[in-house]
Amino acid sequence: MDTFEVESPFEEMKRYVRFTDDDSRALAAFGEVAAPHFERIAAEFYERAREHQEAHAVFTSEEQIERLRRSLVRWMEGLCRGPHDGAYFAERSRIGRVHVRVGLPQRYMFTAMALIRGSFEELVETMPAEARRGTRAALARALDLELAIMLETYREAYVARIERVAEREQERLRGELARSERRAASAVEIARVMVVGVDAAGAIVLFNHEAERVTGYPRDEALGRPFGELLLPGAARGEGDRLLGIASESEAWEAAIRTRSGRERLTRWLLSPVPPTPDDTAALYAVGRDVTDESALLEQTRQSERLAAVGTLAAGLAHEIRNPLNGALLHVTYLERALRRPDGVPDALEAARFIGVEIQRLSALVRDFLVFARPAPPNRRPCSLPEVCRRAHALVADDAAHAKAEVQLDLPATDLTLLLDPDKIEQVLLNLLRNALDSVGGAGGGRVTLRARREPRQALVEVEDDGPGLPSPAAPIFDAFYTTRPQGTGLGLAIVHRAVSDHGGTVEVESRPRRTVFRVRLPLTGDAPATGP
Amino acid sequence: MRTARTLARLLREDGYVVEVEYDSEDAIARLDRAPIPDVLIVDFLLPHADGLAVASHGRARSAALPVLVVTSYSEVLARLDRRLDPPAVVLSKPLAYGDLTRALDGLRTAAAAT
Repeated sequence: MDTFEVESPFEEMKRYVRFTDDDSRALAAFGEVAAPHFERIAAEFYERAREHQEAHAVFTSEEQIERLRRSLVRWMEGLCRGPHDGAYFAERSRIGRVHVRVGLPQRYMFTAMALIRGSFEELVETMPAEARRGTRAALARALDLELAIMLETYREAYVARIERVAEREQERLRGELARSERRAASAVEIARVMVVGVDAAGAIVLFNHEAERVTGYPRDEALGRPFGELLLPGAARGEGDRLLGIASESEAWEAAIRTRSGRERLTRWLLSPVPPTPDDTAALYAVGRDVTDESALLEQTRQSERLAAVGTLAAGLAHEIRNPLNGALLHVTYLERALRRPDGVPDALEAARFIGVEIQRLSALVRDFLVFARPAPPNRRPCSLPEVCRRAHALVADDAAHAKAEVQLDLPATDLTLLLDPDKIEQVLLNLLRNALDSVGGAGGGRVTLRARREPRQALVEVEDDGPGLPSPAAPIFDAFYTTRPQGTGLGLAIVHRAVSDHGGTVEVESRPRRTVFRVRLPLTGDAPATGP
Repeated sequence: MRTARTLARLLREDGYVVEVEYDSEDAIARLDRAPIPDVLIVDFLLPHADGLAVASHGRARSAALPVLVVTSYSEVLARLDRRLDPPAVVLSKPLAYGDLTRALDGLRTAAAAT
């Protein structure tokens, strides 16, 4: 063998089992003895195969079996005759592939070889004793080489099959990928939202149909242009280059864009940065909607809500003004009549007094209404909350006596200073205390508690009474002009609510008969929402 | 309440027979008894139910009962048209006593004519 040539698989197998020319000669000698028996051995071989279902299954006709039998005889002749070279290997492999092709199960290679081996062994027994050992060794090597070749053809077939399956699978995946890419692309295309992709430098790399529709720019004009330069009006142009920076701070972005025709449209976007990939320069996808019309509609709705609120307020105010005027006017009529009678003076005095009461009611209404409708922004400064509570407590002493009620002060042991407008908070406490006193007073007296506490992040002030409670838990008690008391202006709790809200606090109520608590919470930090103009 | 009492006094002085109820429940209970009044005057806002509930109850007892509603809500006018048939006479607050007596006389004349 030429050492420069690559060893063939067959040479390699022969070397492995040490199959030499001596073996070839021993096989040739065996062939002399065995050749007359080959027809019989082949016949027995196919008789045995008929007994086995899956082996038999590959036979199609008697003629075929006859051909196979002849083929087996030639196979045995070849085995003995040689030469055991590359051509031999190629021929044996071809036969093996036929087995694979007709679907003969692999295990029958072994059973078949066992049959052949057994028949040959019987023939070896007939040979001269000194020849038997070498013949057996040669036959063992040759038959195992035959098996190895047969199994190799099965392996080839399996590998080929696996490759075919893998290829089909890949084919399927490629198709699937192409389909899903097409789907994604058409979803982006037909979506009723603008989808715009930009690269790291802010240049447009994706521009869908809706983006074309809203902006008026056809795709070929938009692609490659900087987003800011194309779509943002002068002053905001730089934002286009900072889109990635904007996206890192907030997903949502609102921008007035300038369309091709020069109109401005208000757009709202969701910005999604994407990690860079070698085959795509897109760095960010912006999904946006034209909200110009929505915003206008929203503004209209807000405006009409404001008008409705003003209307409700005006109607409430009119009602509150007309009632005392009604009482006063009737009493004026009555006063006139009384004055005409000689004995009418006591009645006239009574009527005049009542008219005065109604005028005072009107005056209180105007005062409260102005507080409510035109509140001065809170003038907050560090104040002691317990101090404010003590002052409010002192101011309701007369009301308490009149209502036959006791007002208890329940204040924290340590001082509690926070940023507040003391006048407004005092007004809040007075309104709540007077409501509570009215409630217990109407029930013939009772107890009112003014309590202040520190909570982790806020200060709590409670006004509690043991009166009959609110008539309805769902009543809009914080609305302007809602009142359950004939002399009430319906503004007390509305003023409370506004003042507390202006302080960034909250007010809530819990009410059942014999226990009603208004809870006011004020932030300790003094954080408050920006107050309106 | 005080105003209703004074109104009743003025009307009595002018020769009307007046009964006053201060609460819609009491008013409804009163309308269940005879005699049914010739004219019903209600305030739109009354404790426990609105004046229209009282008016509707009165109409249930006597289909043609003249009803006079006193209100400080001008929009009540529109709602009254739908709720009462024949419609009530609506007087806005503040109420001039002369307007009230003229309306009462008008209703009495109309009732006498039918």
